[in-house]
Amino acid sequence: MLVFQNKIGKGYVLASTYLCIAVTLLIFLILFWNSYPALSTVGFDLFTMTWNPAKDQFGVLSMLFGTLAVTAIALLIAVPLGILTAIFTSEILPNRYRLYVKSAIELLAGIPSIIYGLIGIALVSPWIATLFELSSGRTLVTAGILLAVMILPTIITLTDDALHNIPQQYRETSKGLGLYPFEIIQKTLVPIAKRNIAGAVLLALGRALGETMAVMLLVGSIDKIPEPFYNLLSPGQTITSKLGREVGESAFGSLHFSALNAIGFLLLLLVITLTIGTQVYMRKGIRTV
Amino acid sequence: MKNILVIGFVLLALSCSKPKNDTVRVAGSTTVLPVISVAAERYMKLHPDSRIIVNAGGSGVGVNQVGSQQIEIGMISRDITQKELEQYPETSFQIHAIGRDAVVPVVSSELYNAGITSLTLEQIAKIYRGEISNWKELNGPDKDILVIDKEASRGTRHVFMEIVLGDKEAVAQGADLVLGANNEEQTALTQSDAALGILSNAWLNDDVKGISILMPDGSIVEPTLENIINNKFPITRDLVLVTNGTPTGQTKTFIDFIMSPEGQEIVKQNGYVSISK
Repeated sequence: MLVFQNKIGKGYVLASTYLCIAVTLLIFLILFWNSYPALSTVGFDLFTMTWNPAKDQFGVLSMLFGTLAVTAIALLIAVPLGILTAIFTSEILPNRYRLYVKSAIELLAGIPSIIYGLIGIALVSPWIATLFELSSGRTLVTAGILLAVMILPTIITLTDDALHNIPQQYRETSKGLGLYPFEIIQKTLVPIAKRNIAGAVLLALGRALGETMAVMLLVGSIDKIPEPFYNLLSPGQTITSKLGREVGESAFGSLHFSALNAIGFLLLLLVITLTIGTQVYMRKGIRTV
Repeated sequence: MKNILVIGFVLLALSCSKPKNDTVRVAGSTTVLPVISVAAERYMKLHPDSRIIVNAGGSGVGVNQVGSQQIEIGMISRDITQKELEQYPETSFQIHAIGRDAVVPVVSSELYNAGITSLTLEQIAKIYRGEISNWKELNGPDKDILVIDKEASRGTRHVFMEIVLGDKEAVAQGADLVLGANNEEQTALTQSDAALGILSNAWLNDDVKGISILMPDGSIVEPTLENIINNKFPITRDLVLVTNGTPTGQTKTFIDFIMSPEGQEIVKQNGYVSISK
């Protein structure tokens, strides 16, 4: 009986592993297959400014810019905030409160992104408009701020785990050497956890790149690069918001549909590169104690 | 543990069962949506065994999903384009006009109160082309115009751009935001005090004011129901349901219901013009 159960267990584990691999490969293949017509007809015109399906023009530069800009803003806000919060929950907060605070923060990750989008439309976007005296609060910055809130939990939890998993003797030894508490954090703990923290940030980056709903509602959805380009308080477009807005109305099998697949493929490549990057980086980070 | 798995699989299998054959799926234009969702509710009360599922998405979604035969009825508020017809050679689109509507240029109420109550089509075209960018140039307050455009396949945009810029797929160089459904546009207009947008006549209210069109002969045409009925207002259109071939069964009786006096009453209550007069 035991042997039998063991076999079932093994089969189950193997099957689910292969299923995951197969799905990933299929998504990759199908996206590439569907985007092939657009890639072959449009070619390098993909890297131009104009997107006009009616005239078969599919330039993705403005979306690429928007995606990178929004993600950069989100990371700029969320990384320092997230790491400092994690240092607080892991090192300063008494252990019995840590779990409560941590689960509250992790709850943030469970809120559906459409809710963030609605809050953004109702509150954040008017605030931005009044604060900067803009005619519309739907800007790259607004989307970036919302995204920052959305990726904070990822950064906080993973960084907190990284710090918390450092064996107690490092802290005790540092203390024994006469370091102040903030020196222990700054000189001992953070350098040890550095690579894991970087991993957390890269994971958050992946989520920021792929987030659709909240960004789509807030970014303004216009295929333009701001003038001048660093004026991020203007509306723009991201790859995901373009997909979210147009995929339903493009006819299946048309060049338009294929072009949308192509930008999806582009996004997937971006995310995959980052994920592989993260894993290589993290593997190097495993300490040999 | 095993039991839970078994129950889970059974539930999964049950939930995958096909929807009943007489389910009518409707999707598309958010201009037609308010009429159809009310009509569907009334219809389901009259025919308790029927099921009608109504979704939004925009005219483009309506045409595509009927074309790919995912739904029975598409709601559209524009003509089907040549490209769309070519895309689905196996689908024989049949259209059923259920009402009339006007596409109205709208401004934030602050502007309306400051005196922007009518514009010529040429002025509106210049704003969308980006040649006029401040309300000062139109005797309004000194504020940059927030030009709100719509997604390319939206029916309201097709009808509007056809008349204003001369091409239903024209690119609006002066646009600042691109939004989708009527309600999304409404929100953006309400939140701004310097916006110009495009809305269906039925979506106007105190915060989003439809402006009149100043005609070349000097007359001012307001977006009123009479002006839509007698075709005086320059930007009008039919609200249309589209099916694949001649409708049958539940689909047919539902469309008949909308055409009936009771159905047309719903059209009127939503601020559109009934086709039966």
